[in-house]
Amino acid sequence: MSRRKRMMENLDQDIRDFIERETQDNIERGMPPDEARYAALRKFGNATRVKEETWELWSFLWLEQLCHDVRCGLRQLRRSPGFTMVATLTLALGIGANTAIFSAVYAVLLKPLPFAHPGQLVRVFEANDRAGIGGEGCSYPEFQEWRRQNHVFSGMAAVQGHELNLTGGGEPMVVKVGDVTADFFPVLGVPPMMGRAFLPADDDQGAAPAVVLSEGLWRSRYGADPDLVGKAIDLDKRSFTVVGVMPATFRFSLDGRGGQLWIPIVQDPTFGPVAKRPNLGSFTAIARLKPGVSMAQGRAEMEALSNRLTQQYHPGDEGRTVLIATLREAMTGDAPAPLLVLLAAVGLVLLIACANLANLFLARATSRAKEFAVRAALGAGRSRILRQLLTESAVLGLLGAAVGIALAFGGVQGLSGLLPPSFPRAESIRVDGPVLAFALLLSLWASLLFGLAPALFAADPRLHTTLQESAGRPGEGKGRRRARNLLVTAEVALAMVLLVGAGLLIRSFAALLSVDPGFETRTILKAEVSLPRFQYSTPQQWVTFSNEALARIQAEPDLQDTAVALPLPLADQSCSLSFSIVNGPPQPPGANNTADYVAVSPNYFHVIAIPLLRGRTFTQQDVMSTPRVAIISEALARTYFPHRDPIGQQLIFGFPPDTNVKREVVGVVGDVRDAALNKSPGPMMYVPFNQAPLWGVGLVIKTSSSTSAAANEIRAKVHEVDRDLPVTDVGWMFEAVDVSLGQAHLRTWLLGLFGAMALALAAAGVFGVISYSVSRRTREFGLRMALGASEQEVLRLVLKEALRLAITGVTAGLVLAVGLARLISSLLYGVRPADPATLIVSPLLLTGAALLAAYLPARRATRVDPMAALRHE
Amino acid sequence: MSTKEQRERIELLQGTLDLLILRTLRLGPTHGHAIAKAIEFRSEDVLQVEQGSLYPALHRLIKRGWISVQDGTSENNRRAKFYRLTARGRRQLEVETGKWDKLAGAIARILRPAESESES
Repeated sequence: MSRRKRMMENLDQDIRDFIERETQDNIERGMPPDEARYAALRKFGNATRVKEETWELWSFLWLEQLCHDVRCGLRQLRRSPGFTMVATLTLALGIGANTAIFSAVYAVLLKPLPFAHPGQLVRVFEANDRAGIGGEGCSYPEFQEWRRQNHVFSGMAAVQGHELNLTGGGEPMVVKVGDVTADFFPVLGVPPMMGRAFLPADDDQGAAPAVVLSEGLWRSRYGADPDLVGKAIDLDKRSFTVVGVMPATFRFSLDGRGGQLWIPIVQDPTFGPVAKRPNLGSFTAIARLKPGVSMAQGRAEMEALSNRLTQQYHPGDEGRTVLIATLREAMTGDAPAPLLVLLAAVGLVLLIACANLANLFLARATSRAKEFAVRAALGAGRSRILRQLLTESAVLGLLGAAVGIALAFGGVQGLSGLLPPSFPRAESIRVDGPVLAFALLLSLWASLLFGLAPALFAADPRLHTTLQESAGRPGEGKGRRRARNLLVTAEVALAMVLLVGAGLLIRSFAALLSVDPGFETRTILKAEVSLPRFQYSTPQQWVTFSNEALARIQAEPDLQDTAVALPLPLADQSCSLSFSIVNGPPQPPGANNTADYVAVSPNYFHVIAIPLLRGRTFTQQDVMSTPRVAIISEALARTYFPHRDPIGQQLIFGFPPDTNVKREVVGVVGDVRDAALNKSPGPMMYVPFNQAPLWGVGLVIKTSSSTSAAANEIRAKVHEVDRDLPVTDVGWMFEAVDVSLGQAHLRTWLLGLFGAMALALAAAGVFGVISYSVSRRTREFGLRMALGASEQEVLRLVLKEALRLAITGVTAGLVLAVGLARLISSLLYGVRPADPATLIVSPLLLTGAALLAAYLPARRATRVDPMAALRHE
Repeated sequence: MSTKEQRERIELLQGTLDLLILRTLRLGPTHGHAIAKAIEFRSEDVLQVEQGSLYPALHRLIKRGWISVQDGTSENNRRAKFYRLTARGRRQLEVETGKWDKLAGAIARILRPAESESES
């Protein structure tokens, strides 16, 4: 027997006992027995209430009531399937979109990095405030000084990205390689899943080549061979011993480049010349702060250290400082801003959805007024009714969450496919525990949001009196109508904000699409070949390879227009070098003359359609044995030779080790956007590939044949020269342009989608309110028409009501939007936040949608039969 | 049936009934009717115990573990439920009495500043 039951029996017995005693007392006082008993009962009062109160004391009453309310809520939902479906879908869209976007926000901004104590990890980098350069890498000698002289880091490691050719055991392939110092893995604090990480001895110049594989490569290329550790693999035709395998959870990627395998820096084919160059900053330095050392302390120490080192490494370059940023900031780059904008946008969509649902509930609460009046009359307290209604909306909220989470799963999958490859931490975006918790909390919060106001109205103790008074009268409570109008106005205002945001992004994207990159992209195919540096070790070999491959490819009739360039514009990362002008005017100290550097074959400008403005292009005669020449871009000519003819001037620059080579300017060509479409063209300098070769070539081919046919031909021709060389990254130039627009494209598309959702929801809201208003005013319209109002006049009457709501909402929304538009100015290109076109078109669109939504109920109003309407009462 | 006029009665403050029940039970275990009578008698009928609140209060105290209930036989050999103060209840009574004294003293000082000072 439960304790509660026992206690209730005790109570029963006790109450009987009490009444008997009281009766006895009364009899002793001289009352007749019947009267004595009656008086005792009367004195005791309401025994049932006492029992109920005691029962509640011994029960989980709230739980029972909750179960009852949930059952009640489900019954309500079943009773009106149409309402349930509309409400669930509305909510599911809102919650689904929020959950999907939140999963990305969570992965990028909140999920701990997959390293030990990630809060201590920082990136150390150089920046030159005065020259406007931020986030530069460091050179190896500098890194060594930082590591030796600091007292704030418990460990420091350097890493740089590279690509090497992996041969043997299958098709030759290009792998992404992380060149790391031995302490890379210990600093990040992640142990290998097999074998070992690098040891300090691996950093020595003469050490045996060792490689650590990623789990992904170990599985895909080596079939998860459990005995791979200790075996040798070939990188750039050189044998490396596999010493360990890192688990798939270990993902280190900066600037969107992750590694498939890692080798010690000293084993990289280019390490020799690079290591001695003090001002070639190609390394990313990471470090772990000692426990208890703050970012500020770390920053102060590195600043002091960099002041000392600048004297040594960059004399005269005082703007240079060493900065530290948390590894998370470094890894997420500029992704957070658009993500937060999207999160805010979906938040608004959900708010609009909630406003819609609140209106639906408000209408339903009115139709259920009798039910609540009866309940209240039977003794249900205000809080009890409130609780029941809130439970009902929570049931709906959770139903919406269930469907919404299913939508989010689909949405996240779709989103992952659409994300540009450089998107940080894309692999960790998924609907997991914390994201699910977010969805559930969000749905409960939303149900409170849309359920509270209607519930308050319904539980209003004055309701039943109001009800009696207004029974049969066409109007409804003033407060309630005001609440309804306020909700739909707010909804329209929020939709306005979203539409303006979406409009601005769409306009920006259109501006980006119409940007002329300065070169042909439609008919140009690109491909890349990188040479194994152990086999092709001298510049002469690089030249020979490129000339031979180029000649063979050009021999094909449809590949005649093929040129070589490295790096390729937009497709590759641009390469910036500093230069100086021979006999030029003295530059102010700290002014770091830099320009983007490209090595090209003579016909490059012709193939890719960059116009020659002055002088000549390169020729086959510009080779190692002839004077060094260069071609500069219009921007460089304009900036550095404003009053002089640049032709014949000499510039000193070059890719290491040729940093101090003088080159004569022989031509000026048109500007191109080589780094990104949204970045204005900067100064550029071109050199003949034959005078400044690199260990690989980028090919641009003007062709009309299909991608695969051209790719096969190019592969065949390259393999005629060397059958072990992989040809990679074959694709059209415009595809590279599309990739560079990837993030902008995605966020524009998403915000457009959310804007459309907001528009639809706001229209639905207007439809709901006007429909409701029309149905309440049936009698009025009937009366008006009986008194001679025309259909037109009734139509106008209803539309005017809708227009008033729409215009109030649109105006409020515009004010809000103009205020908020500044927040997304970093995402805009070629459009001001107060863009007139957007600010005119979106209000018109929204007002139009609202009127359209009001038209249907307005038509219904005109079809009211006056007689029927008047008889109705 | 009551010896005092209705308007002279004072409704019990929330929680005071608990204190009075605990105090009454300190004299020994007894049944519900006797508790009510004892409070009324000892307050000279100023305080009247609502049966509607007596039993919920008793059960609340049982739930908190301050009193316990068991079967017993009363003076005229009738079986009845007997409530008994537990050790925890005894401690609680001291705490509550201390609180009550403080509260009463404080209120008295505010209402009748001069008197309470002269008394002390």
